[in-house]
Amino acid sequence: MTVHREEKIWAFFVLGLTVVFLAALAYAAWGLGLTTPYTVERIPAQKAAQELKPGVDCVNPNVKQIVNNVVVCQDGRYYVNVLAMRFTWLPNRIVLTDPKEVKFRITSTDVIHGFEIAGTNVNVMVFPGYIAEITWKVPSNMAPGNYLIICNEYCGAGHQNMYAILEIRK
Amino acid sequence: MATTPKFAVEDRFARVAILFSFVMLALGSLFGLVQALTRFPGLLHALGLDKVITPELYYTGLTLHGVANAILFTAFFIMGLAVFVVTRDMNINLHGPLLRLACMMAIGGTLVAAVPILLGQATVLYTFYPPLNANVLFYLGLAVVVVASWIFAAVVFHGIYRWKKANPDKEIPLGVWGVITTLVIWLYATPPLAYEVLFLLVPMSLAGMPVDVLEARLWFWYFGHPLVYFWLLPAVTLWYTLLPRVLGTEVFSKTMAKVAFVLYMIFSTPVGLHHQYVDPGVHPVFKYLHATLTYFVAVPSFLTAFNLIATLERAGRARGGKGLFGWVTALPWFKDPVFTGLALAIIIFGTGGFSGVINASFQINYVVHNTMWIPGHFHTTVGSGVALSFLTASLVLIPLLYGRQIVSMKTVKAAFVLWFVGIMLFSVGGYLSGLAGEPRRTYAPPYLNGVQVTAHLLDLMKSAASVAMSGALMFWLGGALFLGTLFFSVLFGKRVAFEGEVKISPEPGPASWFEKNLKLILIVGVVLILISYSLPAIEVYSQGLSPAPPQGPLK
Repeated sequence: MTVHREEKIWAFFVLGLTVVFLAALAYAAWGLGLTTPYTVERIPAQKAAQELKPGVDCVNPNVKQIVNNVVVCQDGRYYVNVLAMRFTWLPNRIVLTDPKEVKFRITSTDVIHGFEIAGTNVNVMVFPGYIAEITWKVPSNMAPGNYLIICNEYCGAGHQNMYAILEIRK
Repeated sequence: MATTPKFAVEDRFARVAILFSFVMLALGSLFGLVQALTRFPGLLHALGLDKVITPELYYTGLTLHGVANAILFTAFFIMGLAVFVVTRDMNINLHGPLLRLACMMAIGGTLVAAVPILLGQATVLYTFYPPLNANVLFYLGLAVVVVASWIFAAVVFHGIYRWKKANPDKEIPLGVWGVITTLVIWLYATPPLAYEVLFLLVPMSLAGMPVDVLEARLWFWYFGHPLVYFWLLPAVTLWYTLLPRVLGTEVFSKTMAKVAFVLYMIFSTPVGLHHQYVDPGVHPVFKYLHATLTYFVAVPSFLTAFNLIATLERAGRARGGKGLFGWVTALPWFKDPVFTGLALAIIIFGTGGFSGVINASFQINYVVHNTMWIPGHFHTTVGSGVALSFLTASLVLIPLLYGRQIVSMKTVKAAFVLWFVGIMLFSVGGYLSGLAGEPRRTYAPPYLNGVQVTAHLLDLMKSAASVAMSGALMFWLGGALFLGTLFFSVLFGKRVAFEGEVKISPEPGPASWFEKNLKLILIVGVVLILISYSLPAIEVYSQGLSPAPPQGPLK
């Protein structure tokens, strides 16, 4: 049983590094509020289509306006309900005008899907039977344009066709 | 046969298991090619192949690729290798009839599961998430393989236990430590899988019983991540034993090697929630607990890296390497193919280890979860660190077990180069396209061609995907070359006579702290598992389940 001096130094260095990494992650999670999805809301998969009305709404109803059939929230705080079903997202086109904070509530009517907005940190698993709720703090430098919403969890033979568009307007 | 008559039964088991594992690798990899072709943006359509390579074929092939390469190839090779290591290092016989039973059950279970996969009735991928539903034979076949693996583990542990009784003051050889660690992780990890398959998936498939997705995922990933260490540990064992042996030196530190094995044993299982960071329904504190344990399981990998590099340095200096880096060039890079294969596998695995630490991050995981980043990561771990190490080890095992010479070392070396360059392109391309948001596990998605979206991400996705897939074709060719050489050698290689004994571990000394406290180590492992899984399990069950009815994947 010999442990070389260099190995002791290395072992302490690696342990120290691990502790630093974990402290950084904990600070980001509970200091800056960048934690992972958490919801215990359940919804029967067969009734999801009736109970979760897909569409865009405002967190604060007082600032809600309808411009050319598009919901616009003056304070930039949106609710978006999304329904995942094989092989489409409902709604399949989401228009947000100058969003600052978007609360997505997403569920599935059939199997597991994955809701991802490409190029952002919006990425959440969507289960039948559960509502996934995540809040997206939209980066202030988010360029206006069309973004891809992808299903990133295999959900059957038409999985590759399952996408939608998120349009950001300024 | 080349083997000593003493191990006739054990060696027959090893021969069958290892050959079967290569057949599985060949079969599974065939469909890796299909996946590479579909991922070049627009290629299928341009070649008119989209009539042949349909989404149904792609997803069926993806299931086969995952099950055959990640579960069956690894499990069968590991069983063969474990028997070889234990019999030679300890000079003991194993329980022949039970060994044969395990072998027959494992192959039988595989064949039963293969039928529905090949018929397209089990296109649920290798994660088989419910409520996607497969033919019940798929679940039952895999369950039989798991039971066979338990019998196998019992046989090996029985042999080691008898040896230990007869030699209480002797150190367990290092290679056997690797085998013990591998099998302990497997035994820790598989009971919840058996529960999921027998009590959730089989009733779903037979009677249409609804299944709660969250519950099933909790138990699947309880098994799913330790499975990764189950693959990895035999490769680590080869690095600790075979690598110094071909260099004619000893491992730098046997003690630290054992420390690494013990840490792997303790920390490999209670980490599964890091696959579920973006799942709803599990509290972030529990996810963070698993993140912490995941970071701790990186520690033995860092210790291993140090130990291996120190071993290499010692071998390089013994060969006359001078100065700060002279020992690197003094190593037999392309002279000894066994060294080449293991060293390249270790280098590739190193890059995969770093991306693994990134995946384990509580927050960055958001960006990479389910994207092409992940295949980029695990093809450097199981696809190279493990597969390449196993194939390299077979250069040693084939002459010993089958009594045949490897027919051409030139093709083997060419295969190594193709594999190394290919996998590097594949992983870097995968990392980049994953960061741009390209999903994994998808047949040629239409949005890569034609939809008007913010351009720079799509361009990055497309070009990085092309780089990745060129790399995939390269390492596929390397693998085909390698496997072709191995099959050819087993069938037609020059017969070699073999005499004397082969041990892969360094000469054991007197029993150390680790041998005397194995029981304590095992208990610590169980306690950590209980703490880390009872909390989320209580949460999931106490909030009430929300089962969803089964759905067929293709229609």
